[in-house]
Amino acid sequence: VALSTHADFERLVMVHLDAGYNLARWLAHDAQDAEDVVQEACIRAMKYIATLRGEDGRAWFLTIVRRAFYDWLAHNRPALMVRDDEYALELLADEADNPEQALARKAEHIALAAAVAALPLPFREVIVLREMEDLSYKDIARIAEVPVGTVMSRLSRARRLLRASCGSFASESMAREGDA
Amino acid sequence: MNCEEVTVLLSADVDGEVDRLRAHAMARHVAGCAACAQRYRAAQAQRERLRTELPYHCASVALRRRVQATQAAMPDPSLRPNSPALEGRWRWFGGGLLTGGLAAGLLWAATPWWQHGLPGEDLSGQVVGLHTRATLANHLIDVASSDRHTVRPWLSARLDYAVPVTDWAGAGYALVGARLDRLEGQPVAALVYRHRNHVIDVFVRPALPGAAAPPTHTVRGFNVATAVGADMQWVAASDLNNADLAEFAKGLAKGSVTAAGD
Repeated sequence: VALSTHADFERLVMVHLDAGYNLARWLAHDAQDAEDVVQEACIRAMKYIATLRGEDGRAWFLTIVRRAFYDWLAHNRPALMVRDDEYALELLADEADNPEQALARKAEHIALAAAVAALPLPFREVIVLREMEDLSYKDIARIAEVPVGTVMSRLSRARRLLRASCGSFASESMAREGDA
Repeated sequence: MNCEEVTVLLSADVDGEVDRLRAHAMARHVAGCAACAQRYRAAQAQRERLRTELPYHCASVALRRRVQATQAAMPDPSLRPNSPALEGRWRWFGGGLLTGGLAAGLLWAATPWWQHGLPGEDLSGQVVGLHTRATLANHLIDVASSDRHTVRPWLSARLDYAVPVTDWAGAGYALVGARLDRLEGQPVAALVYRHRNHVIDVFVRPALPGAAAPPTHTVRGFNVATAVGADMQWVAASDLNNADLAEFAKGLAKGSVTAAGD
């Protein structure tokens, strides 16, 4: 029972630092901003770590990261708008680095990541939590502080938006008849 | 189940979040509907691509170090410096303290000294009061950053004076962040530095002519060092030793901090 919070922090938070940073990075776009958000989230996590008992540390930490991001956003919104564009340029620059490998397939990758990056925040966050963290709707609902039904409709909507911006994801070779 | 219902549930079904009964009904419909089968394949292909193609951003080593350093600088909740005998007990009380209530009451009863920083005391007493309160409440930092370009505008937006902010990590005094506090009834910038295991609060406000406090002071085991420079008054409070703290305060006022002797 009498564990030090410093030891708890290492065991419950530091192991999820990558997940927290990945979420912050997808939300904030900019690496430096994401680091600031994660740093702030860690301070909060340290502060409230005693309230975490027998729960999933990752979902708990991601909840804190997400809130820290929105607090940060409230102070930095104008800057974020500019960085959206810079992020898209960065993605294009990645492609230019390997011109010989910039095959059609690769171009599609970039388009997909850029399309996710361009999603409005409420849709982007559920996509990252679902597809990159593989969290259940229940966990996502807790982290995003919305009902499970909302998670379901946002994910559905987000996927339709991605389809609209990237075109159909179905390729003829992948057809698997009767697979449900 | 018809096409419209399938379309609505498709995304959730691909995620395995549809109950078995409805999932079965969907599968039956899809088996006999070419258009829905096509939608299904598209949804699965999309899921596959999202999972394999989106870049996963890992925390940098620098961020990991930064977090660990900040965390090391934050005392376990309610830990009073230099009282190892109390550590275990206070750590245990950490959770309760944060949620207030009973534990806060017990803490107050056990350590009444920390409530003493009331208005009317001299500057050093007040400063130590602010420092210990912030440490105990684990609210040292409002804006966590070692980047002065982050800290400075954050403070400027909340104060009617501009605060010179510099990270002196090179000299062993790493900037961890800042917060807004109140000193003698006025909002004041508190810069938070870390030096080895010591947390240093530096209160910065415009200097009043002839209002310099004695350069160093010790209140309840905490040292307070004051210096004036760059039109600002710099009041540093910490459990760091007197000489180093005074040197640090002087360095801040001069705009040039040098590494401490030890």
